Amino acid sequence: MTLVKEEIYQEFEDVVGKRNISRDAAILESYRVIPAQSSDHRGPYLQKTPVPQMVILPETTEEVQAIVRLCNKYGIQFKASTTFWSVAGYIGGDYAVQLDMRRMKKFEIDSKNMIAVIEPYVIAGALQAETMKVGLTINIPGVGCSSSVVASTSGWVGFGPTSISMGCASENLLGAEWVLPNGEILRTGSLGAGSGWFCGEGPGPSTRGILRGKQGTAGSFGICTRMSIRLHPWPGPTFIPTRGLVPAYKADLPDNFKAYTLCFPTWDAYADAVNRLHQNDILYLGHRQFTMFGRDIKTAMIMILNDPDKQLADIPALCEDPYLKEQNEKMKIDIQVIIAGTTKRDTEYKEKALNKILEMTGGWKSELMMDKDLTDYVLLYLIRLGHKNLNFVMCGGYEGNFGLSPNVFVSASVMEEASALKKKWEDETNAIAAVGGDSDMGSICIMGGGGSTGWEFFTHFDSHETASVKGTADFFNATQEWMSEKGLGVDMGKWNQSARRPDGYFYTQEEQDEMFSKLPQPLVTAYQYKVREAFNPNDLCGSYYRTLSAKKLEQIP
Amino acid sequence: MPLEDFRPMMDRCSNCLNCKWIPFDKVKSMRFGENCPSVCYYNFNTYSARGRFRLGQIILDEDAEYSDEVTKVVHSCMTCGACDVACKVCRYNLEPLDHNIALKADAVKKGKILPEQQVMIQALKDEKTMIPGAVKANRGDWAKGLGLKDSFKEKAEVTFFPGCKYSYDKKLQGVARSAVELLLDAGVDVGTLGEAETCCAGRAHQMGFINEFDERADANIKAFKIAGVKTIVTPCSDCYHTFKRLYAMRGLDIEVLHIVEYIDRLISEGKIKFTKSVPMTVTYHDPCHLGRQGEQYIPWEGKEKKILNQIHTWDPKRPRYNGAYGIYDAPRNILNAIPGIKLVEMERIRENSWCCGAGGGCSETYPEFSAWTAGERITEANSTGAEALVTACPWCESNFANAVDENGKKIQVFDIIELVRRAL
Repeated sequence: MTLVKEEIYQEFEDVVGKRNISRDAAILESYRVIPAQSSDHRGPYLQKTPVPQMVILPETTEEVQAIVRLCNKYGIQFKASTTFWSVAGYIGGDYAVQLDMRRMKKFEIDSKNMIAVIEPYVIAGALQAETMKVGLTINIPGVGCSSSVVASTSGWVGFGPTSISMGCASENLLGAEWVLPNGEILRTGSLGAGSGWFCGEGPGPSTRGILRGKQGTAGSFGICTRMSIRLHPWPGPTFIPTRGLVPAYKADLPDNFKAYTLCFPTWDAYADAVNRLHQNDILYLGHRQFTMFGRDIKTAMIMILNDPDKQLADIPALCEDPYLKEQNEKMKIDIQVIIAGTTKRDTEYKEKALNKILEMTGGWKSELMMDKDLTDYVLLYLIRLGHKNLNFVMCGGYEGNFGLSPNVFVSASVMEEASALKKKWEDETNAIAAVGGDSDMGSICIMGGGGSTGWEFFTHFDSHETASVKGTADFFNATQEWMSEKGLGVDMGKWNQSARRPDGYFYTQEEQDEMFSKLPQPLVTAYQYKVREAFNPNDLCGSYYRTLSAKKLEQIP
Repeated sequence: MPLEDFRPMMDRCSNCLNCKWIPFDKVKSMRFGENCPSVCYYNFNTYSARGRFRLGQIILDEDAEYSDEVTKVVHSCMTCGACDVACKVCRYNLEPLDHNIALKADAVKKGKILPEQQVMIQALKDEKTMIPGAVKANRGDWAKGLGLKDSFKEKAEVTFFPGCKYSYDKKLQGVARSAVELLLDAGVDVGTLGEAETCCAGRAHQMGFINEFDERADANIKAFKIAGVKTIVTPCSDCYHTFKRLYAMRGLDIEVLHIVEYIDRLISEGKIKFTKSVPMTVTYHDPCHLGRQGEQYIPWEGKEKKILNQIHTWDPKRPRYNGAYGIYDAPRNILNAIPGIKLVEMERIRENSWCCGAGGGCSETYPEFSAWTAGERITEANSTGAEALVTACPWCESNFANAVDENGKKIQVFDIIELVRRAL
């Protein structure tokens, strides 16, 4: 492996100072990730990502720019990450620099214009807390409030429970300050016209579609160093008052906040209700949350999480509790919703409309979840979205599969079949946790105002046990096969399969050409190749942006 | 537990980085949302609990060796346990704090220790204290003239154990005297271990010197038994945790109380009555070893058992230490009972308190880092508008005493015992 020469390393050190750069072997090793220990959306693998040549921590946009220019000068790949949650943020080549963005954590809130200008290490939970002080809030994507707002807004899809009222990341991104892969700084939207941060589409260059699109390019177009996002009204106090013992904290919010678990007799009724919720614009938040633990153990897990003295060993006994069993059955097909009225009348109207939708669809509110403590737990859980890492609570490993759906009627129609497929694997193999098949979690809406739905089955496996990891990969092969048969597209557990190789490295252009020339519409990736050539001429940012070379395109008959 | 036994945890750490923030449900601002002094000061992810889990894998797999930088990473953990609380909001099968200490122990075992640690450990061996320069012969100076019983010679209802810091630090000796005086005034039958008192060695444990800790712990437990100690009361949070948790693991079976618990009890029984007003707005700092690490030890022996194919549990059910039942209310009850005192809270309190900077021996090994950590807390304290910062641990008090906030501003620092005495 080629090592960066001493004099080149010195140039990088000159940018950030000795204290903020390292090439100590163990420090470098610590910036590798074993994908099975994180959610990678490409199937759980045990191979670590490559070792970076150095880890560097910039503090300003100018320092980022200088680092990127040095990378271009010496042909060194680079990748920036903030929280290091996502595997996408790790390098994918041997001659590469890892940027750790945690020193960039400044923010400004413009309450009058309802925007926040943020640097990469501002996480969603903290930004939400800051915006609440001035009566505003943010959409926190499903990745949870521990995530970097800049990373999720610039690099990935970015929808979450509040997307029904606040939209997703691509809709909330306004101006951005972007260090392009060649080291130039692009200021987008109104910022690019010197008019401030208020608008993503101009006056000034509107490059949002190229730089992030709908799904996001996972950092393949350089490094976003600052951006502004849209803020939304928060009809609550200046902070979320809490009570209770760790980990079962509960919110003490005023009466204009209502949390319910809505249950339905059939998936058709569920789809009908979700569709009506989309149309009627009454929800602050809508999400299918607690089935993530599994249909059979859902109420047991809710009880465990709400009692500091309980733990996972209590699952079997709780599952035998007659009342919880009954409630579990009644919550088989459910979603969690939150209403946040701006006035007493608004709250009453929304509640009335919600009740009417339940009446029209044959649904009901879960009796168990009407308990005051549980209601307040759900309010805190979903508004702050601070328990995202319960994804890993049961086995240490988790990956989502199945995925997204163009509309709720499609996903609802196949939910039981998908559940049965997963249950079969739970029953016939030992690789994944046996929790009752259905372990679907997802936003009831992935764009502002309603529409597509998230549809992610949580698959729990043991990241410490090779057989469990491999068995989970086999399960995802099976679900992909089923998805393909149904015409449902790429399984979520394989979304990034074509972005990074199983060994943790990025794909070469030749490998991408081989894959993408077989696509039904290869022209999409060929177009992306042209875009990449324009913005990333030295190809230094990795293969999360899928490309098909012009040369290969010519060879396709 | 040796480092290799932590392998399942290292592999099951999900890279979520919850360990770098207080539980998100409690975050009230960006400025005071983070919880780990080590990663906040040094910035490299390696310094977080997650980074340390990864470091454990690296060491076990021999992917890298203990360089000077790695040795610094390992020993710069203040063992404050904030990561442990935050991690366990979502996880029931990881023990980041125990792992951080195991990593230190592994480094110590391999000779990767710091010069300052050598000095402290030598003092522990020679003078039975971890305060370099202090000598055993002077340990009882703080109590001269108080006429306290020697528990080895006369039975006493309560054995008062001041610990090294109160015993040797001249600025703090008066606090220890005040503590004893108020107990005596309340009619409590108090004794001490006299010349037989030695360091609890809790800080040796925090630094990864497990053999040295074990040796001292066993000697002290033996001494407690010989003296017939039934209840031990200490004003030192480090000693408190060491007796209540670490010694209990080695078989100590006596009542261990921090002075704040005892005073709270005396106030509720009407044996301490306040007569003077102390007009002051104060904020309270929860010491790590009294708060989140102050939970009662519960004996357990068992093994991992998977249920429902892959869900990890323990058979029998394993006690869970996550800070839920630390000592938080007693000091607040006392402050609220003192006439004139107005208690205002910082953002990071109770189980989510920010460390004072003295933990893990860092006040000696990394003084600049330690002072910065204390300064962060002073900044937070000053942001409340309080006139004074009150705590219940001599290590915290000492570390705060010379610290300044981000604007170079100090704050008055009090031991809670001092305020109680003022109000009597």
